[in-house]
Amino acid sequence: MRNILKTEWLKIKFYPAFWWVMGMTILSYPGINMIFWKVFLNITQKKTQTGQMVAWLLGNPFAFPDTFHTTAYFSSFFVFIPSILVIMLITNEYSYKTNRQNIIDGWSRDQFLWGKFFNVLITTFIVTLLFSIVAVVIGYLATTKMPEQPLREIKFVLLFALQSFEQLSVAFLFGFLVRRSFLALSLFLFYYMIVENIVVKILSLKTKDWGRFLPLEISDRLIPIPAFLGKFDDDAFKIGLEAINMHIIYTIVMSVFIWVICFRVNRKRDL
Amino acid sequence: MSVLSINNLAKSYGRIKALKGVSFEVPAGSVYGLLGPNGSGKTTLLSIILDVLSADAGNYTWFGKPTTPDIRKNIGTLLETPNFYHYLSAVNNLLVTSSISGRGNKAAIDEVLKTVSLYERRNSPFSSYSLGMKQRLAIAAALLGKPQILILDEPTNGLDPVGIAEIRDLIGALRLQGYTIIIASHLLDEIEKICTHVAILKQGELVAEGTVKDVLMDEDIIEIGCHSTAALDAIVQNIPGFIQLEQKGDWCSVYFEKGTADTAAVNAYCFAQGITLNHLVLKKKRLEDRFFELTAN
Repeated sequence: MRNILKTEWLKIKFYPAFWWVMGMTILSYPGINMIFWKVFLNITQKKTQTGQMVAWLLGNPFAFPDTFHTTAYFSSFFVFIPSILVIMLITNEYSYKTNRQNIIDGWSRDQFLWGKFFNVLITTFIVTLLFSIVAVVIGYLATTKMPEQPLREIKFVLLFALQSFEQLSVAFLFGFLVRRSFLALSLFLFYYMIVENIVVKILSLKTKDWGRFLPLEISDRLIPIPAFLGKFDDDAFKIGLEAINMHIIYTIVMSVFIWVICFRVNRKRDL
Repeated sequence: MSVLSINNLAKSYGRIKALKGVSFEVPAGSVYGLLGPNGSGKTTLLSIILDVLSADAGNYTWFGKPTTPDIRKNIGTLLETPNFYHYLSAVNNLLVTSSISGRGNKAAIDEVLKTVSLYERRNSPFSSYSLGMKQRLAIAAALLGKPQILILDEPTNGLDPVGIAEIRDLIGALRLQGYTIIIASHLLDEIEKICTHVAILKQGELVAEGTVKDVLMDEDIIEIGCHSTAALDAIVQNIPGFIQLEQKGDWCSVYFEKGTADTAAVNAYCFAQGITLNHLVLKKKRLEDRFFELTAN
């Protein structure tokens, strides 16, 4: 395992695109949360009667302990940025034919794929760490009076990690199966932004919400809308919270399923 | 002892049968040439023994054992094209090779880069290299850490005449150091000069295999000439081992069974029959001639 990690690091440490996308990720997570926080402050700090009413109605979702849920929710919109990285790292191997060279040089096919699994795992760790720092910093800035249980919602850090891992695994699957960088990226983003959203909506109207089992939606439901947005539809908010435990199981099953497929295909297909 | 034993390997791509039950053995310390026209199955065969492709049937063993990743770590390979990370320099690409294979270290990397004359450009990214430089880097990667087996698929691709000569000399030197080298090439002259053994493939079938001497010397040929070639026709048929005679202008090519041609005996026999020869040469068949004979449709 150490050799695999060392080799993957040798591959990426001088890869300019890796650092560019990592930079975009590092900027986007604090950026999006700061923007939403500032928008929220602009609305709630108005001295008008409307502003006061909104402030009273929404509370302070960026303060402890809700900061973990709120920032996880907004951060989850941006998993497509590290997804680009994950897709690049696997499709590069096919473009340069280094996947076959790695095998020729002495890795087993499983070792090659474990390298990519660790890429996804480490990317998940980095974005989770980033999100956690953002949540804590915004929480400190937004909290006027520290509550008794400031870490009550810290479970959303783990839920965010699980969601990111599963969605990055879906992105990896696109890259792994399609093999061509541009095509894989296009297909993933098209699916991520358009196809699945439409299908989920259609299935929610026409079936017993089977759309919740689609690859991205299955983990999207790990982080339901935050409490302050839930106040606009209290029933939906409660259902969302109650569904989290089941979706933890579904997401783990989906993640295992994706990687089992990848390992099986990789063992059999010609390189 | 065989380093590699290939037994009845077969591989198809859809309807196309790329390999049709190929079997042969590569002796330790040999330079084994794999020849064949384009599409004859050379790269497919090499890809199978390196676990890049899976065979439909048959099997192969390295040192009498089924292949494992650890065995591949001790084989330096250039397969088809130089495959490297385009954004990494020569040194960093070889660090990846070294990390995976466990062969070589920083000093060894510098050494192989000097061997292939890439040391001055060692820190330039792979994407900035010419075709010949990429090929040299692939050869460097194969040589890294002195693996005792080398597999070189068209190693002189993209090299200039000087580069080709350097690689030929390098392979010759490695052979003397006890390396086992499997080399696929279109350059028959090169193969003939450096190989001890050869296998010739045609449309996925093995048409000849063995030592270069055995494959080339299918028949013995002696060229003889005298003032009257018509007189020769009548007498040479009685020489032991005779197969046929071909008129070639001022002299004739006389074909004998393999290993039976003896120029001194032929000369003495003709002289005893009253014919004085003015041309007598034991002709060695060129690999190129033999290759075309075996692979012609």
